[in-house]
Amino acid sequence: MRESIVRMEKAAKTFATPEGQTITALGGIDLDVRRNEFLTLLGPSGCGKTTLLQAISGFVELDSGRILIDGEDMTDRPPYRRPVNTVFQNYALFPHMSVGENTGYALEVAGIGRQDRARRVAEALRMVGLEGLEGRKPRQLSGGQQQRVALARAIIARPKLLLLDEPLSALDKNLRQAMQIELKTLQHELGISFIFVTHDQQEALTMSDRVAVLSGGRIQQLDTPRAIYDKPRNSFVATFVGASNLFEGEAAAGRLVTTDGIAISHGEQGSTGAATALIRPEQFFLADPGQAGPILDVDLEQIVFVGSTFELFGRTATGRRVIAEIPAMRRGLVGEIEQSRRARLSYDPSAVHLIPAEAA
Amino acid sequence: MKIFASLARGSLVAYTALFFAFIYIPLVLIAVYSFNANPINMMTWSGFTTDWYAQVLGYKTAITGDAFYVESTDQLVQAVFNSLKIAASTTLIATVFGTSIAIALYHFDFFGRRFYRVVLFMPMLMPDIVLGIALLIFFVNSGINLGLKTIIIGQCTFLTSYVFIVVSARLSGMDRTLEHASADLGANEWTTFRKVVFPQLLPGILGGALLAFIISMDDLVITYFIAGVDVTTLPMFIFAMLRRGIKPEINAIAVMMLSFSFVIASLGLYLRSRQK
Repeated sequence: MRESIVRMEKAAKTFATPEGQTITALGGIDLDVRRNEFLTLLGPSGCGKTTLLQAISGFVELDSGRILIDGEDMTDRPPYRRPVNTVFQNYALFPHMSVGENTGYALEVAGIGRQDRARRVAEALRMVGLEGLEGRKPRQLSGGQQQRVALARAIIARPKLLLLDEPLSALDKNLRQAMQIELKTLQHELGISFIFVTHDQQEALTMSDRVAVLSGGRIQQLDTPRAIYDKPRNSFVATFVGASNLFEGEAAAGRLVTTDGIAISHGEQGSTGAATALIRPEQFFLADPGQAGPILDVDLEQIVFVGSTFELFGRTATGRRVIAEIPAMRRGLVGEIEQSRRARLSYDPSAVHLIPAEAA
Repeated sequence: MKIFASLARGSLVAYTALFFAFIYIPLVLIAVYSFNANPINMMTWSGFTTDWYAQVLGYKTAITGDAFYVESTDQLVQAVFNSLKIAASTTLIATVFGTSIAIALYHFDFFGRRFYRVVLFMPMLMPDIVLGIALLIFFVNSGINLGLKTIIIGQCTFLTSYVFIVVSARLSGMDRTLEHASADLGANEWTTFRKVVFPQLLPGILGGALLAFIISMDDLVITYFIAGVDVTTLPMFIFAMLRRGIKPEINAIAVMMLSFSFVIASLGLYLRSRQK
């Protein structure tokens, strides 16, 4: 196992609202970020992900707990004495400085000479694909370019850790996807850890080595993207990451029966007792007539074509909502069910994931 | 419909023209009459002359005994000097005070912050004559001799407010995350102030300083109360001249003051636009 670069121990922080309530932004969080890791903090707004980031960069003081960076206690250090740099959500470029001055700011403050600085600024700008733009002012750049300057400025001093606070949220979709790949590449080149904050689950799954799903100031699950998606530990994670069909019920060997009488087959033999079965929409397929095995009959309410797939929105006889995703190449079958407004959905029991009730 | 539209348009144009005419015609008249050669009735044009300027500036003595009102150019020059001295000192002091208060109130959250803000607005809202009397009573009671010193102190009381308001406006438009970015990149509070906050604040500070300078040069009521007997400023000098009738030299002085204010104001606007 790789050594950890950041360690948080029982980090807690509460805020008082103007109405006199208190909000738990961090509810005693323990977190280890590994060296050279791309870790994403994922959660809805208000889940504490930005507070967690600011606790690491030093802009939020913890009520209790501590933070170590590379083995050194940072809890009481001001932001300017932490070996961490941030890419801010709104980029926060200095409007009165040129691109070159912005990029070289950390070096200038550290007292590094002009020539050395110019060389490293050129290098940093080359890494983000903006060579030769030193003389421009930030307002003369496009949003995507400003984003890159912010990135160059944050990596130039070779921090031990780069924090990214929803840096891609202001970019349009195509640019965002291109930047996702570039960020990942850049992280490999630099060989430093990135902590990336986002509320976009797609972004989290695409880029991360590990994802921490946060809610209510707590880490709900910290795992690889695949594990988060395939084996969510509770129903919050299951519903927040990806679309899901959840069936709460009583599990017995190979079968889970819901209160409204739907039986779901599953492959987790050992599990018994109250539990929730998770079936992802893409795990359903349209059953051939007379096919054996587990079947779920639904009345279709809507069929939506989204390009690579059809999304089927239906209800079981007991009124439970079900979402299924059928590959678009099975157009013929979809034509049939469009007529009948009924679908027989089949699934592989081994792909069904059971969430024990106490975790849900 | 088309007629209504063009009618509405026409009246809007007319209104705009009238509005600006109302504001600027008196100023234009002063400028025109300052070149009028008629020494008795300055509303009646009798020919072009630059005599009044020459007289005010001391290049030419009286044409006729009656027209000669600037008794001594030395007095006028002395008044201008006093005004400049006062304006320079008050601008410097008020700018330093106003700026530091604005920064402190913006930056630190402390008990009574809102109260301080209101207190700083007060001198601007107070009637000049009340402030003048209050200052006079204060200076007399505390045994300070009236003169340049008291004018400077007195003007600073309200000029600080003007600078404070201009700088505060600039500060509230500033992006706080820039300071975070600076700290994040390793700059301590002082470096952040020097390299990030101050350069962005500079147009506001200069704007506030120019405003303070113009108001100081222009102030009559408050200054009149606290000037004492030995010191005369330019507005006081003009006011004294007026009491003996409006004479052509005053037009010349007014036009010169106007040009001076115009230059300062243009400079201020230029600085603001350049740094935005």
